[in-house]
Amino acid sequence: MARDNIFVGLEIGTSKICAVVAEARHDGSLKVIGVGNAPARGVRKGEIVDFETAKRCVHDAIVDAEEKSDVEISEVYLGITGSHIRSFNNRGVVVLEEGREEIDEQDLDDVRTNAREVSLPMEDCILHTIIQHYYVDGQDGVLNPVGLLGKKLEADFHIVYGIRTRIQNAIRCVKELELEPADVIINSFATAQAVLEKNQKQLGAVLIDIGGGTTDFVVYVDGAVKQSGVLAVGGDHVTNDISIGLKIPTARAEKLKVDEGNVTLGTAFPGETILLKDETGFAGREIERESLNQIIHSRLRETLEIVRRQIEADQNLHYVGAGVFITGGCSQIRGLEHLASDLFGMPVTMAHALPMAGVTSAFENPQFSTALGLVKYAHLVQMDRPSSGGLIKNAFQKLKGMFRN
Amino acid sequence: MVQLNRQYDREINPGEPIHIKVVGIGGAGSNILDRVMLDGIDAADLVAINTDVQSLTASVAAHKVQLGRNLTRGLGSGGDPELGYAAAEEASDEIRSVLQGGTVIFLSVGLGGGTGSGAAPLVAQIAKEENTLVLAFAAVPFSFEGRRRCAQAEESLTRLRAVADAVVCFENDRMAEITLPRMGIHEAFAAADLTISQSIRSVAGLLQRPGLLRIGFDDVCAVLRSGDARALFGYGDAEGENRAHDALAKALKNPLMNRGALLAEAFHAIVHICGGANVTLGEVQIIMEELNRHINDQTQLFMGIGIEPRMGNRLSVSILSSLSNSAEKPVTQLAKKPIYTLEPMPKPELKPEPARPAALPEASSTPALPDRAPLVESVAERSDEELMLPRTESEPQRPQPVRLAAKPEPKNQTAAPKKVEAKQETLQFEPVSRGRFEKSEPTIIDGQDLDVPTFLRKNVKVR
Repeated sequence: MARDNIFVGLEIGTSKICAVVAEARHDGSLKVIGVGNAPARGVRKGEIVDFETAKRCVHDAIVDAEEKSDVEISEVYLGITGSHIRSFNNRGVVVLEEGREEIDEQDLDDVRTNAREVSLPMEDCILHTIIQHYYVDGQDGVLNPVGLLGKKLEADFHIVYGIRTRIQNAIRCVKELELEPADVIINSFATAQAVLEKNQKQLGAVLIDIGGGTTDFVVYVDGAVKQSGVLAVGGDHVTNDISIGLKIPTARAEKLKVDEGNVTLGTAFPGETILLKDETGFAGREIERESLNQIIHSRLRETLEIVRRQIEADQNLHYVGAGVFITGGCSQIRGLEHLASDLFGMPVTMAHALPMAGVTSAFENPQFSTALGLVKYAHLVQMDRPSSGGLIKNAFQKLKGMFRN
Repeated sequence: MVQLNRQYDREINPGEPIHIKVVGIGGAGSNILDRVMLDGIDAADLVAINTDVQSLTASVAAHKVQLGRNLTRGLGSGGDPELGYAAAEEASDEIRSVLQGGTVIFLSVGLGGGTGSGAAPLVAQIAKEENTLVLAFAAVPFSFEGRRRCAQAEESLTRLRAVADAVVCFENDRMAEITLPRMGIHEAFAAADLTISQSIRSVAGLLQRPGLLRIGFDDVCAVLRSGDARALFGYGDAEGENRAHDALAKALKNPLMNRGALLAEAFHAIVHICGGANVTLGEVQIIMEELNRHINDQTQLFMGIGIEPRMGNRLSVSILSSLSNSAEKPVTQLAKKPIYTLEPMPKPELKPEPARPAALPEASSTPALPDRAPLVESVAERSDEELMLPRTESEPQRPQPVRLAAKPEPKNQTAAPKKVEAKQETLQFEPVSRGRFEKSEPTIIDGQDLDVPTFLRKNVKVR
């Protein structure tokens, strides 16, 4: 690394690859010094399907970021997504041995290890073990049990796992570009770091990141990650639906979605049409606006309904006080706010990353939320453990307590 | 997930074994036979019938019949169907004796030449007289083989259709799409043989294999009889976590299937799923759901599931259907009727019932023959329509109407063009429904394939 207070977040998205370079300043704040991005190819539903092509695109994005920030990038924090990523909550228990009553750091490690001892399919590996709450002798509300006296330490964890080989695809892609993945973070957590404020997490919040290929969501209750999930449906699906429904090429459908799309039904005049201009000089085609909106509406409504059902199934929706936050490229579609608040029955905010110093345009664009979240996450980890230097293998270990914030 | 219990098939399996004979007629027929033999087939007698002694000696079949001992003296029939027919007539007693004792007879024949085109209808005739069920797999020549050959093939095909219970017709042109143009010509023929062999084997397999959900010969006939031109056949097997999806994708990739796009036009289709003891309900569901996207609402699906311990962890999917070139609906319904009256018959077949093989052909052959008449007529009509239909340029049927001189019913003819229009409209939607996600791993939540546009699944009208 050129300077060791530099963090780089890399998100290999389905529609674009984005690298954010940020610098940690002495006052503890973070300054974004460059954002590189490149259109992604060879990525479907958040996962690499064409390795060489995707690698070239990642390379382009990294080069772009290096040029803009004037930093030589050697280490990145890598965001991961994909339908194979799953999660559950589990409780770990440690009983202190006879004659010892003070809980120490080692016990925290033990309780974490204990919670991770679950049987997962052979091909899966654990990505994150995130602390939710500690209990000492059955008493809850313990923020940090180190130094407390007790006989039994329990802790709830949110455990995220995925299929090892599919996670390694992204890692290998980075490694082949002579970059060191400093850590692998699932996108929804990273995004939450950039988008949600501490008090919102405390009140309870749902964050939905509708990207190109996937919809990632995370639910915070009492300041802790209560639930997370990935749905392999995103803006690409909207485009595909339009392309099939209106029988137009994909590129044309994408443009139509961005320029004219609206999820609110009944906003178009009856019979109102959109004229598709044809670059080749042929007569354009007319498309009924309501049909376009109907297609987009059906898809996004369904997507949000699935997310809501999943959150409801775990009975977490009642604990959400701050509301629903929607970000990601697809959140820019008109009218999504109303649709979502209808569906969730609570305030919905179209969110983008919270401001940091530096390249301000990056924060206003919800497409960059995840990549910004990655550097913010990296920064938090660094502050938590100033000794640093940890690579991917021991990365989980050092995240202790950080998601409490 | 529910594991299908292998114990079931013990009880369901009928005691009466089905004797299958695979008969290869002519040079191409015995090539196919060799292929079937090489690929392996269970409990079936292989019979090679040919005029050419050289080819006959080279054949691996257990039973061989030489045609025209006096007429052709061991030489081929020189591409003359009349000679082929006469040669077969001469050996008809021998043919009869070798066909005796079979329950189901598969004829494999390459049409267009002398022996195949001439002898096949006669062999089928003899087989019918022996009270067997006859299913013919006929290969139609490449279009570059010349008009004359194509015309001969067509004529023979018409005759064959009149006798056999069902004819599956394979167009060499189509099958050769598997091979690249620059590959050897032998490979193109081998590819065609392989496809036919695969379909013979899978039909034989689905008749013989103990099945949880059995497909009977009546089902096979219903599917194959209704079409009069092209067979749609696809076979795929796969193992691993996603084997249901992979096997189906493979089956649909078969060139005869045209990625499943052609299935949308078929009125009947057989799906046979075969796997080891560990076939799950979920897998069957995945296959059927994915397949349902490729067919239209009117298509009648016959589903069969076979449990074959030898399959191990593999799962195979065979799809068999036929496609008519003409507006088929009225004809299909006509053809369906006698089969429906037969419906109660196959059910007793589950119990051992010795009378069944004899009873079935009798019942099916008598009503079937009058049925052939409209079917043959529709061939005549079709060629009229061909001029309107753009995609049938490779159909070698033009000489047909003149020779047949059938009197087409005016009622049918007026109905025909309308049907064609309707067909084209329904066609466009189905095959593209996954669009760019066609090849990616499906996202299935609550039984819904989320890659299929929501508005399609929810039936939202979009103009």
